[in-house]
Amino acid sequence: MKSILLIAASEWRYWLRSHLALAAALIFFVLIIAVSVLTAARMEAEKHARSHQQAEAEETFLAQPDRHPHRMVHYGHYLFRTPAPLSIFDPGLDTVTGQSIFLEGHRQNTVMFAESSASADFGGLSWLSPALVYQLFAPLVIILLGHGCISRERESSVLTPLLAMGISGHQLILGKALALVSFTVLLLLPLIASGAIALANGESVVALLSLFGVYGAYLLIWVILTLLISATLSKRSTALGAMTGLWIGFCLVLPSIAVNITTDAKTVAGKIETDLTMLSDLRKLGDGHNANDPAFQQLRADLLKQHDVERIEDLPVNFRGVVAMASEEKLTKVLNEYAESRMLAELQQEQHLLDYGLLTPVLAIASASRAIAGTDLAHYHHFQREAEAVRFDFVQGLNRAHVEELSYENDINRNKDEASWQRARIDASNWQVLEKFEFQTTNISERVSTVSSSIQMLLLWMLIAFGALLWRGGKIKP
Amino acid sequence: MSTFNALMREIKFTARDRTVVFWMVTVLGLSAISLAFGLAEVKHQQATIQQLLDANQQERDAEFEKLKDWGSAAYYTFHLTYDAPSDFAFAALGQRDVQPWKHRIRMLALEGQIYERDVGNPSIALIGRFDFAFFTAFIVPLVLIILLYDLRASEKTAGRYNLLEATVGQSSSFWFLRAAVRSGALFLCLIATLFIAGMIAGTAVSKLLLAGLWVLIYIIFWTVICFFIAAWRKPGSVILMTLITVWVSTAVILPALSRLAIDKLVPVPPGADILMMQRETVNDAWDLPRETTMNAFFEEHPQWSDYQQVESSFEWQWYYAFQQVGDQKTRDLSTAYQNGRLQRADIAAWVSLLAPPSLLERSLQALANTDLNTSIDYEESVRAYHAALREFYYPKFFLNQPFDKALLKNLPKFEPNQ
Repeated sequence: MKSILLIAASEWRYWLRSHLALAAALIFFVLIIAVSVLTAARMEAEKHARSHQQAEAEETFLAQPDRHPHRMVHYGHYLFRTPAPLSIFDPGLDTVTGQSIFLEGHRQNTVMFAESSASADFGGLSWLSPALVYQLFAPLVIILLGHGCISRERESSVLTPLLAMGISGHQLILGKALALVSFTVLLLLPLIASGAIALANGESVVALLSLFGVYGAYLLIWVILTLLISATLSKRSTALGAMTGLWIGFCLVLPSIAVNITTDAKTVAGKIETDLTMLSDLRKLGDGHNANDPAFQQLRADLLKQHDVERIEDLPVNFRGVVAMASEEKLTKVLNEYAESRMLAELQQEQHLLDYGLLTPVLAIASASRAIAGTDLAHYHHFQREAEAVRFDFVQGLNRAHVEELSYENDINRNKDEASWQRARIDASNWQVLEKFEFQTTNISERVSTVSSSIQMLLLWMLIAFGALLWRGGKIKP
Repeated sequence: MSTFNALMREIKFTARDRTVVFWMVTVLGLSAISLAFGLAEVKHQQATIQQLLDANQQERDAEFEKLKDWGSAAYYTFHLTYDAPSDFAFAALGQRDVQPWKHRIRMLALEGQIYERDVGNPSIALIGRFDFAFFTAFIVPLVLIILLYDLRASEKTAGRYNLLEATVGQSSSFWFLRAAVRSGALFLCLIATLFIAGMIAGTAVSKLLLAGLWVLIYIIFWTVICFFIAAWRKPGSVILMTLITVWVSTAVILPALSRLAIDKLVPVPPGADILMMQRETVNDAWDLPRETTMNAFFEEHPQWSDYQQVESSFEWQWYYAFQQVGDQKTRDLSTAYQNGRLQRADIAAWVSLLAPPSLLERSLQALANTDLNTSIDYEESVRAYHAALREFYYPKFFLNQPFDKALLKNLPKFEPNQ
């Protein structure tokens, strides 16, 4: 044990004397701190702006004057997707997905206005975030410090005396690993600062620990791989070249190639394509604006029978409102069916992408990080589902007012003259059907359960790399 | 003759270096992969467009019964607009994963329709595709760095350095020749695959040659940088890290900071404001006196101001007039949004002169018509088409032309930008 500590300590002494190691660590820390501050400022501003817009949208809706209730159904409402607390560390899909959605009767609109559509375009890598710095650049620093830790001893002919002194290959590797692992923990310190801000904004401690855990595991994989290559290749320069090649492959090439394969193998039908398929289904449901549509004959017969009257004019409720309500419900069922199948297809496509996590650990860490931060595809879908629930609730609330507050007679005569136009409206107090909305991430256990496969993938990588290192460590020869 | 001999000697030497051969095969393979998937994706997008055109036509046929007058014809007839991938799009798919390139529109207020986002899976867009532009602009410099950073150091380790320095006449030109042979081989790998893919896609030769020229300049640029930094009398690891820092600065940090700065410097109005204002105008119109709406409409369309309105019953003229007024009222905001985006793109174009990887990627995307400007051009073409639809219907409404379904075949057809 003592010799392991001694080896680790001497490795640290070597780094502290090496300008290269110091410079690399310094550049990394400046980069991560700068990016963390800038991202936190950007996301906080976004959050503030979107909450403000949300409050304004609610106010405007409630401030509408007396109207025909169906007018309010088409007047509609807006929801804004406020960013998750941990988006200051990993904004994830926030930039490439829309921020607001317009809700109205009879339709499910798309979420519009993604930041990426309006931003100055410099390509994908320019959406730099603390998460991306850890995923792409922390491994580079580990490689730089670690590539020589065994091959250096071999090159300077220190390995032979070391081994002759009775230090085993395993002890040597463990000592070097200890040094690199302690350095890795140091690299992760800025993550804690971002986490503390998120904590103050209501994020759970478990989420922070999970985030720390997955990034720790990810960087540990790089530590092990670096040691493995350093122990295997005889020259320091070859080890550095090989690790740089591995870094290019894992971080830049393979994730994008996995995207190519996935989109080629598993396509997802777009919104217009799905809409067109759906329309032929919807045509069978009848037009909710037209109470005489044959699709509503049954409803009419039932209602007349129930109230024991002959004509719909004699019903105690507004039949046009009843039709609007019934058709909205039927329609929503179909809309949701298609929306769900589109979201499922997207999830399956993403799952297919993650299956290539065996090619590179970067895919696994990126997906785990987004999920824990609450900025992944599942949360984007979660937002769409919540928006749909809000939409359905306020539309049906207005339809209920249409049924109960507006008489059938006033309703059908609304276009007769100015006075009847005025009579066909209900009191603005009915607009209170709208509830306050703030988008929240799901609870952390749910978030972690969605990424269990990514976490397993990381563990698998770690096990395989560690196994190879143990095997290699036993065979270290001068 | 001696230069030629030296060149032949270097080529033979390079061909025997297993590391170099490994990287050349890798570049050749990756370039081919990026292009093959690009070709497949373009084919897929073309098929999608055709499929949507067919499905939209079927939908129109099915709705044909509903059309009772000009107003309902305009209300129920949807038109598919799209931006077809260009003949070079396979090499740089660019914005096509984040910006919508298809809209299904009708004659209602356009501002409510044009910001719909029919785009693919955001997880895919976030990671981004491995296309030729990304590969060449971001990965190839790293490969060059690996190939060139230890030209001298490796000879030193092999114990041939002093011998080489002594035997070749001018040593710097010798090292430059060696670097040039490696870079040249790499360029050939890229250009050969690109031209083959171009022939498959039927790309205009001028585009291929221009793309080839840019790639050539780009490779020369990185070769020169590598060559000069590698000439330092420093250990290989220091040289490698310096070069990678240059890459990280120009490929990631400078673009990221510029993006933040430009977005801050050129604010655009929040998109949701455009939609909200449009909604307010269109909805308020139901409660406003009809003259107010019609007067606002006549201001921009004086030719119809003779139109006599009927007092209270629902009229299509009035309905489409307030749709138009909705667009008119939103125009300032909408133009500010578009101008802001264009201005951001303009500044980004200048700044990218300092960030060569972004510069090359953007240039290839511009050549492939997959950049932001193309996306805004497409938006413009949708606006122009929507205006043509209005031009078609307004005389029918205001001159009270009798409804004739047969005349609908004269509806303007959407022509995609070339």
